Amino acid sequence: MDKSTIVCRCEEINVDEIEGAIRMGASTFDDIKRLTRCGMGPCQSKICMNLVRELIANNLGVSISEIPPPRMRMPLKITRLGILAGKTSSSNVVSVFDEASLEAGER
Amino acid sequence: MKTDVLIIGGGPAGLNAAIETASRGIKTIIIEESYALGGQLKQQTQFFNNLPKQFDRQRGIHLMRTLIDRLSPLPVTCLLKHKMIGVYKDGRIGIANDTETFPIDAKKVIVTTGAAEETDLFPGWTLPGVMTVGAAQILINRERVLPGKNALIVGLNSFSAEVTKQLKACGINILGVIDKNVSVNDKKLVDGLEDKKIRVMVNTVIERATGAGEVEKVTINNDGKKEDLDIDLICIGKGLSPILEPLEILDCEFGFQAKLGGLVPKYYSTLGTSNPSVYVAGNAAGITCLGGILVTAEIAALNALKALGVLNDNEAKISSSFLWDELRSMESEESIETFIARVAHIKEFHEECELPLPASFHAILEGC
Amino acid sequence: MYIDHHPILENHGNDQISFFYDGTPLKARQGQTIAAALMMNNIRKFGISRKLRQSRGLFCANGRCCSCFVTVNGLEHVLSCTTLIEEGMEIKPNTGDPDVRGGIHEN
Repeated sequence: MDKSTIVCRCEEINVDEIEGAIRMGASTFDDIKRLTRCGMGPCQSKICMNLVRELIANNLGVSISEIPPPRMRMPLKITRLGILAGKTSSSNVVSVFDEASLEAGER
Repeated sequence: MKTDVLIIGGGPAGLNAAIETASRGIKTIIIEESYALGGQLKQQTQFFNNLPKQFDRQRGIHLMRTLIDRLSPLPVTCLLKHKMIGVYKDGRIGIANDTETFPIDAKKVIVTTGAAEETDLFPGWTLPGVMTVGAAQILINRERVLPGKNALIVGLNSFSAEVTKQLKACGINILGVIDKNVSVNDKKLVDGLEDKKIRVMVNTVIERATGAGEVEKVTINNDGKKEDLDIDLICIGKGLSPILEPLEILDCEFGFQAKLGGLVPKYYSTLGTSNPSVYVAGNAAGITCLGGILVTAEIAALNALKALGVLNDNEAKISSSFLWDELRSMESEESIETFIARVAHIKEFHEECELPLPASFHAILEGC
Repeated sequence: MYIDHHPILENHGNDQISFFYDGTPLKARQGQTIAAALMMNNIRKFGISRKLRQSRGLFCANGRCCSCFVTVNGLEHVLSCTTLIEEGMEIKPNTGDPDVRGGIHEN
């Protein structure tokens, strides 16, 4: 495999960068994410998740079943900030991240 | 917004689960991120023979119509272009559409997010003109658009073989179907393609795909022997894996079952997950056939109804035992390994939780 | 290219709609996604990647991979695979990041 092959389409992280991170001690997707930004683009690792898990497994000589998936973060799908925050003109600011908004968000 | 049952995903599993819950008068909401219900059935033009008893043999797109028609008179709210984007601290589900984010307070959640296509790694796989087989099928059958003229298919399985034949029937020249494995277990698949004069090459990988702005050429490597092909379409068919993001954010635990598509949520014989209000069905509960997708949806819906006190224990027991028999028959028809893996997956979780399996399940275990 | 005679499905109606791609007027069919409308007109490159400036187009067609971003009526980063084409839409390729500080866009 050509080491310059892109693995993470969004952040354009290649095989070499991921294997470099593994050589530095990365053993999970989240390790690789923190070292390289792999999986941090708009798709949030939906496409590269298993490609990366497989690369880790192959490099460490373990089964892919041993490699946990990346920690998912909200929002799960691409969402415009304005929609998360609520319209500025509205007093009902609703956000999945904002505890105080839970009451205001009641419909 | 409040509901008894919230269904995440309006594909075959979500629709069939909703038919079960809503026909009992239970308030049901389906959220569907697409502009229309039906999920991947929207572009399945092939016939499906192996379906639960309430469905005749029919094409996937017609089955979609059947499901929607059966659902439409029932008290169900379908929120199209709505997606689950998270969970509030109090457990309510965070939903977003094109204009706002809001919570849905559901007593039970059935996750029917389906499956995503796996991909392959080769230099040039990010070029336009390289897409999943599912994407190519969407283009020809749902959108009526030819994705290219000369195609190479990577990965041989029943879905990629079916789509390959459909692409060819639309006039696309198929230069070959390649697979990295040395041999293909399913000889029928190879014969089915060769009958249509489609070249199948095992022990073959893509060395690289190239092109100016979009894919124009591919170099394949057949056991050391390289060959250049002029193509404008590469379809990747590397199988499916369950879509897990909503389950992960709902704190469901996962286990690994290769035959169910890799990481799969752990679930009981009820299809309830480690989160007591969350059930899972369809391909999200392990990759299966369409019959399996529909029956698991019924099992999950049935147990959600039981948990809501709508069905009594005896009713639930009789239906459940019937549905498990039906699931076994559906999955045995396509691949008994799926059913065996599913039963092993359930048994493991029951053992881990020190929860005895229901008596009716022992007969199923013995059958495996 | 449009499939006029599908081997299995009945012919669609002939409801054509007009839209613009980078200023050029084009035709699509009612009910198509933006991605399909572009591909019907032999446009397969929808944009360029952020880091390596490589071309990108439709990949998963299911709103997951985020490779098919286009700009629609001035709104950046719209998933062309899950958004339906509408009469008069002005589509532009995705060539860069929006000017977040400019406050140009309502959404």
